[in-house]
Amino acid sequence: MAKKIVGLGVVLLILGGLSALVYALSTNKVVIGYNQGYMPDQPIPFPHDLHAGKYKMDCKYCHTTTEKSRHASIPSLNICMNCHLTVKTDSPWIQKIQEAYNSGKSIAWKKVHMLPDFVKFNHAPHIKAGKQCNECHGPVETMKQVYQYQSLAMGWCVNCHRKPENNAPTNCSTCHY
Amino acid sequence: MENINDLKPQPKYWMSLEQWTQDPEFLKMAENEFLSSPLSSEDGKDGWARREFLKLMGASLALTTFGCVRRPAEKIIPYAKRPVEVVPGIPDYYASSYFDGAEGLGIVVQTREGRPIKIEGNTEHPANEGGMSARAHAHILKLYDPDRATGPLKNLQNEKKTNNQTVNITWDKLDQEVVEQLKKGKVAFLTATIASPATKELIQSFASQVGGKTYEMDEIPYEAVREGQKLSYGDDVVPQYRIDKAKYILAVNNDFIGTWLTPVAFQKMFSKTRNPDENMSKLTVVESLLSLTGSNADERFRIKPSQTLDFLMGLAYQLNNVMKVGGATANADILSALKEYAQVDARLGLKEGTIARIAEEIAHHRGESLVLSGGMTTGGKDAVAIQVVTNLINSILGNEGTTVLAGAPLNTARGSYKQVSDLMKAIKDKSVETLIIYGVNPTYALPEASGFQEALRNVPVVIYAGDRKDETGFQADYIPTVHHELENWGDLETSQGVFSLQQPTIQPLYDTRSFQDSLLAWAKGLGKKSARLGSENWHEYLKSYWKSEIYPKVSKAGTFDNFWVDSLKSGVVNLAKKDSSHRSFKAASFSTFKKRDAVPEMELVLYPTVGLRSGELANVSWMQEFPDPVTKLVWDNYFTFSIGDAKKLKLSQGRMVSVKVNGQTIEGPAHIQPGQAEGVVGLAVGYGRTRGGKVCDGVGINAFNLAQPDGDQLLTAGFKAEVTPLSKRYDLATTQGHNTMEGRQIVVEETLAQFMKKPGGQIHHPKMMTMWSEHKYPGRKWAMTIDLNKCTGCSACLTACQSENNIPTVGKKYVLQGREMHWLRIDRYYTGEPEDAGVVNQPIVCMHCDNAPCETVCPVAATTHSDEGTNDMIYNRCVGTRYCSNNCPYKVRRFNWFSYTDVKQPLNLAMNPEVTVRNRGVMEKCTFCIHRIKFEESQAKMHDRELKDGDVKTACQESCPTNAIIFGNINDPNSEVAKRFKQPMMYDLLEELNTKPSVRYHTKVRNAAQIKSHGKEEHNT
Repeated sequence: MAKKIVGLGVVLLILGGLSALVYALSTNKVVIGYNQGYMPDQPIPFPHDLHAGKYKMDCKYCHTTTEKSRHASIPSLNICMNCHLTVKTDSPWIQKIQEAYNSGKSIAWKKVHMLPDFVKFNHAPHIKAGKQCNECHGPVETMKQVYQYQSLAMGWCVNCHRKPENNAPTNCSTCHY
Repeated sequence: MENINDLKPQPKYWMSLEQWTQDPEFLKMAENEFLSSPLSSEDGKDGWARREFLKLMGASLALTTFGCVRRPAEKIIPYAKRPVEVVPGIPDYYASSYFDGAEGLGIVVQTREGRPIKIEGNTEHPANEGGMSARAHAHILKLYDPDRATGPLKNLQNEKKTNNQTVNITWDKLDQEVVEQLKKGKVAFLTATIASPATKELIQSFASQVGGKTYEMDEIPYEAVREGQKLSYGDDVVPQYRIDKAKYILAVNNDFIGTWLTPVAFQKMFSKTRNPDENMSKLTVVESLLSLTGSNADERFRIKPSQTLDFLMGLAYQLNNVMKVGGATANADILSALKEYAQVDARLGLKEGTIARIAEEIAHHRGESLVLSGGMTTGGKDAVAIQVVTNLINSILGNEGTTVLAGAPLNTARGSYKQVSDLMKAIKDKSVETLIIYGVNPTYALPEASGFQEALRNVPVVIYAGDRKDETGFQADYIPTVHHELENWGDLETSQGVFSLQQPTIQPLYDTRSFQDSLLAWAKGLGKKSARLGSENWHEYLKSYWKSEIYPKVSKAGTFDNFWVDSLKSGVVNLAKKDSSHRSFKAASFSTFKKRDAVPEMELVLYPTVGLRSGELANVSWMQEFPDPVTKLVWDNYFTFSIGDAKKLKLSQGRMVSVKVNGQTIEGPAHIQPGQAEGVVGLAVGYGRTRGGKVCDGVGINAFNLAQPDGDQLLTAGFKAEVTPLSKRYDLATTQGHNTMEGRQIVVEETLAQFMKKPGGQIHHPKMMTMWSEHKYPGRKWAMTIDLNKCTGCSACLTACQSENNIPTVGKKYVLQGREMHWLRIDRYYTGEPEDAGVVNQPIVCMHCDNAPCETVCPVAATTHSDEGTNDMIYNRCVGTRYCSNNCPYKVRRFNWFSYTDVKQPLNLAMNPEVTVRNRGVMEKCTFCIHRIKFEESQAKMHDRELKDGDVKTACQESCPTNAIIFGNINDPNSEVAKRFKQPMMYDLLEELNTKPSVRYHTKVRNAAQIKSHGKEEHNT
């Protein structure tokens, strides 16, 4: 008899737990698979708040291929060296970059905004449409360490594409092909 | 003693000794149905019992699911110093050249971040004008071939030269040892025809400096053409054949569309004459095996290979003696020689008067006709005689100087077996101390009967400049492993005066070195500096050659540096002169004919295939799985038999036969080929390799080994064959199991007369009614037209699609199950009587139907219709129900039964990053190259320009040498596709199903009095 009550209790507990989980998932209180807030440590702690914030450098100065190709592209080291051949050369981090630049062995950054392989996102039309980098990437000029500001979930993308003023395509092959 | 048989009844069939002796323990055990209980009550006794295991697995699975909240971290690595021209995500294109052993093509190589991923034709090059062959596409995979040697090798040979211990060696050590060896002099070179003028000069000057001779050989022989030209006109050339200027083409055992000499260029020229108007050419083919050229014939006749000369003589008799056509000769010797061939129709199995009729037809086109003959199937003892008579006929018809141009000859086919036998003589005389082999694989391509392999063992040092230890490499002492063509500089002269450059498109993957650089290093070691041999490297040599030999001939070139960069950019320097030479035929050539053997009852001929040619690409899996354009068989070669012979010998498809020929007995599968002449057995070369790599070794039969030396000629045809069927069977893998249209309107054929009267008159349009409103296309709508008239069936588009879309190869086992993955297939239907079948080819792609049957049945909406008219396949949504493939009437969908993503390194480098690599369980199909559409749309938007017609070209369209595929935006009234789509001779495939496809076909027009299929059926329904 007691066994049966305990058994029933365990089952109810499991069911309750599962439904709570499903509720949390469906209302985005728990997000599985999206990396919103993901803030990985980088091999060199490049501070965007200094470069993009204090010095007001344009995003496209370093992330050069945003307008030309699908990728925004992490700047190659020769872009860093444009200034850092002479600027703050005493810093050990700058020296690390210099060493990588001279040896040809580049820095392996941790990717922050990871989209799955079956999504083919293209930066260029968004730039062409006049979207600001901040809209999707958040206040990067305030970030000491870059984190993913938005969820980058498909629903989030489609919500913006659906707005008539954006004149953006909503057929599947826009991103999935 | 008791009789053991009396003890107990013995079981009649027994599986173990215990059972035989009726062991009591065994009997007890045998009574239990289960030897151990699945519901084991011995928990924990043996470690893990089943239930425990399941409990544990279930728990860990649950834990892993919830433990995995974030995707695994990815690294992103930029360039340290990004080259200015490299933009990640945008390809760079480099113009280059490709020479496949006989044909030179101008190509454009698409590279991504410093590695080539796709090869296209160079529209600027006059030889191919953008057209490609399947092999030209496939040779990119040879660059990434995992079986390539990664550095220089040295074979430690024993005295008998049979030992094979191969060691790695450094370049310095190799150079040292080779230079020591070269100092001894007596150097010989055995190379393929060198079509690169700078390389030719380098080899010549090197050879003369070290006191050596050069010998050239071609694995697929064409020397009869040169011999014939020399005898007939005194010119040692391969003339340019201007097929585009011919209104009547007669091909006698000549596969100019498929494999002979320069098929891509010939196809391009041929297609220009195939517009169905009053200028349409007529192609008459007389042949033994069914070739690709025969597939495209307006009229076709069958003869045995040994009867080729008879046919040509008979034709010459009609033209010369009977009709006395304009250029006819009055030479008594020729007249009497031809008189013997007054009545050959019956002997050749042709209807009475056939040759006379052909003669009349062709005589109507004096000066604008062309008779072609030659190829491996004419490689019997009368090979040269065939060429001489062909030349005579062309001379009589006045084609000299119009369709046969010797003044601007082709820069190809300079090799000959005579040179090989000269080399073997020199080796026998011990006048060869070092033999350097480059560009050919003679141990594989020459038969044992030639004695070459034996001779090679008697050369003190053999240096093989190949890319791996293949058949010839095995016999060599040193292998200074060479670059792939895409890693190397070079140049190419396709025909006189047409030059193009070859430039490297990737840093050498391995520790290899170009052959030219090897020669320069050795020249340096020997202290030879004259004649450019002192150049720093091959790049400098090449530039120096162009500066002194080509640059001065170009008017308005500017500085050399500007000229060099311009030439690299455009890829071509065209200095061809206008030629209208008219040569007179030398009658004396008629007396040079060899004595012929009696025609064997069953004769064996060797032939090259469109996919493999001489086997240099045998280790490229794309080419092994390339469906032969005629037989549609893959991964094998086979003996082809006519239907009549198959009946006589009681053969069925795949039955093993034993063929006794030239003193050898070979076993192989039989393939029954409709349209093949009786009394002929065909066997394709290029297979049966033993050291080519993991893909090709052991696949097929080595047909090269059946060739027979005859003095200075290597015979490839006319061998007496005895065929004995065996009782074994063999599975031949085919990609097309069904050869008939079964009365449905699939390929619509019309005669030229019917077409001119009413284009598309043979098309039957069913009355259609549609229930639902149609899709609206406010912007672009993509559509395609395929011109069956122009399509030759060469299947270059098939390989282009495979290269562009990362399509895997599945191997023979799965092709047997119908699981090949090609998105684009060429359906080949036979028409008319099977023995004398005609052929039609039809490329089938996804039709991107407006009323797509696949879209409505997908339970997860993984295949949707875009607002630009394409049917999109969303791989990540697909769950693999395969209902869409079930519903597709054109059967264009391919399912990934297995995961083909784990590609052996470095083959993964060949993949196109624009196209998703599909995993297991996902459906795929032709996408109209949507990635190209998206890319061009994005580029156009970025640069604020409109997308013009021709900006987006599908991979298949781009590679087609005959421009049979036209793709574009049908909503743009100025686009080519829009103009064609609504024309009356265009029809939908299976229109009666109301799928409303976006692909329309142009009827096939035959320039003949009657269509083969129309004989039986009144209508194509």
